[in-house]
Amino acid sequence: MDNINLFPLYLSFRVAITATIISFIIGIPFAYFLSKRDGKVTDFMDTLTNLPVVLPPTVLGYYLLILLGRQSPIGAFMENTFGKMIVFTPTGAIIASTVVSIPYLIKSSKTSFVEINEDYLNAARLLGRNELNIFFTIVLPIAWRGILAGITMSFVRALGDFGTTLMVSGSIPNKTMTMPIAIYDALQAGDKYMANLLVFIMTSIAIIFLFTINLLERKMRKG
Amino acid sequence: MNKNIFLTILMTIVITFTACNFPTGTISSQKATLTIAAASDLTNAFSEIGEAFEKKHDCIITFSFGSTGMLAEQIANGAPFDVFAAANEIVIYELDTKGHIKSETKQLYALGRIGIVTLKGSHLEVFTLEDLLNPEIVKISIANPYHAPYGLAAKQALITAGLWERLESKMVYGKNISEALTFITTKNAEAGIIALSLKDDSLMNFNLINESMHEPLRQSMAVINSTKEEELARKFVEFVNSKEGKEIMSKYGFVTPEE
Repeated sequence: MDNINLFPLYLSFRVAITATIISFIIGIPFAYFLSKRDGKVTDFMDTLTNLPVVLPPTVLGYYLLILLGRQSPIGAFMENTFGKMIVFTPTGAIIASTVVSIPYLIKSSKTSFVEINEDYLNAARLLGRNELNIFFTIVLPIAWRGILAGITMSFVRALGDFGTTLMVSGSIPNKTMTMPIAIYDALQAGDKYMANLLVFIMTSIAIIFLFTINLLERKMRKG
Repeated sequence: MNKNIFLTILMTIVITFTACNFPTGTISSQKATLTIAAASDLTNAFSEIGEAFEKKHDCIITFSFGSTGMLAEQIANGAPFDVFAAANEIVIYELDTKGHIKSETKQLYALGRIGIVTLKGSHLEVFTLEDLLNPEIVKISIANPYHAPYGLAAKQALITAGLWERLESKMVYGKNISEALTFITTKNAEAGIIALSLKDDSLMNFNLINESMHEPLRQSMAVINSTKEEELARKFVEFVNSKEGKEIMSKYGFVTPEE
């Protein structure tokens, strides 16, 4: 009982950090695009981004199992060409976590992009700045608070994902078993000591993380 | 214009659902209802047993199928079930010592069997556990041996055959026996070891594993202490172990206990 295995904790962090970075790279440009356009297609894409929040995690997991599974075009291609599987690997867990967490980042960033006063942007345009320059020197500095909130939410969501990850990962000890899955397994096995310990670690981390972000935000707001 | 269509559709949905639910709602409040927690391997067998029992006693049976460990945990925390049919007997004993079940109602109702499964149409020929060593079998799916009785039995069989260490890297674990089967039916695992009771001949090739290869899967059930329908719950437990109940159970591949 004393030698608790910290692998799930390590894996959870690895998965959540990678998923957040991917969410950031894809999510920010996408959110900016959504905030600038109006119309049916944009509305549809907006709805689609929010789907992972509404769908039950098991449904999402099942979709991913079919879409990325070893018989799917994508999964079969990866396995035959590179000899790599997506499902039952940490990569699968990262994809699952990204899918469930990216909506939070997109939503929060989009809201803060929409709130930016168009006059600032037009002023910059008149002064001859190009759009990319405007995005990095004006849009991001104004919207960073919403973006940071989005990053935090999506990181915490990725760290805590259970249902979707479980479906695509196969909960293999020391390979794809993340913290939430380890907690679930310990509970199922009636191992109260282990379950309590893992729950305590997980809760502490979540609280410390949220607290640090809050502190950071307050400090930056003050200047 | 668009808004009107949307509102019309919404109203239609709301009216339909509320109207349709109303009558069934009143019926269920008149009839006695039993809620039965049952291990996933019982999904097929108990659905039929439930129907037969409903006809006989004019009541409504609802099932909550899940892994034995999860259901036991829910019962220990006061879940409103009337009967618990577990996939092993240890959890029933444990719940008994904690006072969550009516001791005198606990009884053995089935012995579970396991077998090797491949999907119908698969070109792989898997008849024995040794055949699982075939390198074309990349992933083998079983229920999680850490907490699922059928997963543990599968692991025991592989250990007895002296194959566990060589096959461990191929293993993937479902959270229960049904999810282990999903990995096979979605073709994400080429083979697996699942309960005989979940065998579906139209879907899979099934090869029984000798029962001496693993500890017996002695499945026990009992009436939950907090039940409000004690009499009916006792009747249900009796029914499972009656001649009629046993016939249904053995039809689904369970070995029923002898009197």
